[in-house]
Amino acid sequence: MATVTNRADYWEKARESGFDLSWLEQLKENIQGETTNEFSENNTGRVEGSIPRGNVPQFGAYTFRTKKDIWAHNLTKLYQEFVTRQWSSATDIPWETIEPLPDDIEAAECQLATFFAQVEFVASDVPGRFISTMSPDYHEVRLVLLAQVMDESRHLDVFRKRALANGGGLMRMIDTVSDVVGGSTDNAREFTELSSRLHITGEGNVLTLFRLGELMAYNEAEKAIYRRCAQDEARHVAIGVLHLRYMNECNPERREEIHSYLDEGESRQSSGAGGENPAARNVLTSEALAVLLGGGKDKTDEGQKILMAIRQRQTKEYFQRLKSAGFDDRITNGRVNPALLEVYNPN
Amino acid sequence: MSTPETPEENPSAGQEPESTETESQDSSPERLTWMHDTLEWGVKARPGKHGLTMRDINVGIYGDVPEESRDMSRKPRGAFPVPGVPRTDLYTLNHKVELWADNAVDLYEEAIQRRWMAHIDIPWETLGGSIGDTLEPLPEEVELATRQFCTELAQQASIETDVIGQWLHHMNYAYHEVKTFLATELFDSGRHYSAFRQRALANGGRLGLESPGHINRRLLESRAGWTETALYLYVLRGTLTLLLYRYGEAYSHNPAEKQLFRRCMQDKARHMAYGMAHLKYAIDEKGPDYALGLRRLMGGVERDLAAEMKDPVLWEALAIYIAGSVDHMAEGMAEVKNLQRRYMEEYLTRMKWIGVDKTADNLDQGLAVYLGQRESSPA
Repeated sequence: MATVTNRADYWEKARESGFDLSWLEQLKENIQGETTNEFSENNTGRVEGSIPRGNVPQFGAYTFRTKKDIWAHNLTKLYQEFVTRQWSSATDIPWETIEPLPDDIEAAECQLATFFAQVEFVASDVPGRFISTMSPDYHEVRLVLLAQVMDESRHLDVFRKRALANGGGLMRMIDTVSDVVGGSTDNAREFTELSSRLHITGEGNVLTLFRLGELMAYNEAEKAIYRRCAQDEARHVAIGVLHLRYMNECNPERREEIHSYLDEGESRQSSGAGGENPAARNVLTSEALAVLLGGGKDKTDEGQKILMAIRQRQTKEYFQRLKSAGFDDRITNGRVNPALLEVYNPN
Repeated sequence: MSTPETPEENPSAGQEPESTETESQDSSPERLTWMHDTLEWGVKARPGKHGLTMRDINVGIYGDVPEESRDMSRKPRGAFPVPGVPRTDLYTLNHKVELWADNAVDLYEEAIQRRWMAHIDIPWETLGGSIGDTLEPLPEEVELATRQFCTELAQQASIETDVIGQWLHHMNYAYHEVKTFLATELFDSGRHYSAFRQRALANGGRLGLESPGHINRRLLESRAGWTETALYLYVLRGTLTLLLYRYGEAYSHNPAEKQLFRRCMQDKARHMAYGMAHLKYAIDEKGPDYALGLRRLMGGVERDLAAEMKDPVLWEALAIYIAGSVDHMAEGMAEVKNLQRRYMEEYLTRMKWIGVDKTADNLDQGLAVYLGQRESSPA
């Protein structure tokens, strides 16, 4: 190996040959910190910790440049889990186990699959839009969001495959826009608002349903779909819980604002407005679920009983998320939507 | 399922629900009428030797890709429409010609089949230099050069993330094959960013200088259309990125770097396959006037690229990486010049293949000089 002295000679010789090498000195002296800055000065798309140049235009113009607006702890670990648990809808689902089903059951499966094929990509487009507005200094947030986009694409794909794999077809589209009071997931321009609505409420409800997939699956393929999707969805919900937990700890002045997002989310969860909660009352998908859970179109009474229990489970898990994030005071102080309390404790 | 830092570690999946209290049946007068709401029934897509792929389910009406979609909801292609559904968004890419490539559907599945994990599939322990490691660490200047090289590649990946992120949600749902493929590219770009950053920071290292930014700026500020952006992202930037990966692999100093570049090369080749197919399709469909417009568009961009290529940082770092020392840097630079020449040659070849009349004669003079560079090369 070269000694320090003859290395210096090499460098000098290289400079004499016309090489610049000033960047080598800059690298040796780089003292860019490893702690994430509270405010990001990075508007040039540079990698966090790299050495800025003074002459680069500020073309990044990122909307989100403040850590406390988007941050959460433990995201690196969560991202690694995203990467590790990727799966293939083509080869990891035992499609060969699907057998012909009665028409009413197949129609209900296809209706539910149509719903998921439609709404799952909401959770793809919207986080995707946010990624490019966040400073690369907060790359941990960007990474989990882009991993979520990947997951949601696979969900769109796997449910479309289910609808077209067993003698059925796609069915009626879902109206996800009508009757939404307040802000919608699509229209959110602020990350905490988006995350409260998308991760905590919307995906939380879907997660409960995926976890109970055994109840509505009629073969191993469907069980595998719900099981895999539940794993994915739990990570998406985790993004929201970790973010709200951070906000509660580090940004308590925004608690009231966050509660207002939860107010809106609960209203939609209980009323079914916007069609995002497939198990909500009197929505198209809850009928399909009742058919699947009951075992046929003539057994929807039994299905509705199970569906009611599913709503209770959704509420319990939602309350658990609130507790984990530090927003469970609303459960006891009278702020939580009364309809949810009624579902939670029907007696 | 293990998401230890979440409150979701008690899923109880498959349990019977706790409550069995009854609820009155839905009272909607249209109860169960949806059971007949389908445009095509009886579809039974069969898995092939690669499982049940997205191409396998493109059967009947579900495989009909419209030339234009004015649907502003997220209606899945082929789903039963509901009258009077309000718009969800104002999608701006509503024509097949603006984003389509026939191979996107297969590339989506390939991306998933060829997924890899930087923290597991790269033998990081072969980098050397860690405590108790018997492997020799790289000479300081080679290590610094590698960090600079990887900083540049991490930034290229991060910009790719931004570019796709800002276009994906503008794409109409009728073209879900493209949207899902681009989601895989987004995921790949995150992995590349993370892996190259990890390499740069290995053994307690620090990152290098940021990119000069001329082409990054072009990529992020491109607003004329996805096709125009794709021209920048794939033909202009992607051609260089792929070459850098190739040279990175050819001159790697240890199995970790070799594996890293090899994996990234596979991914980037897939991205290029979509980009090239889309550009060719768009130009074939839109005709020579559009192709001429793209050629003229590249005039200013090429001047920016020529300015960026004069910046010595990446090239000198690569020269040291290739040569394995500053002492032999001149030999490394000879190989860098070959890379630069190949970059311009491949740029012209790709432009010609997609249907743009870009030749050495109308290439920016600042770039044309690289075409004359020819050095004896072991690569």
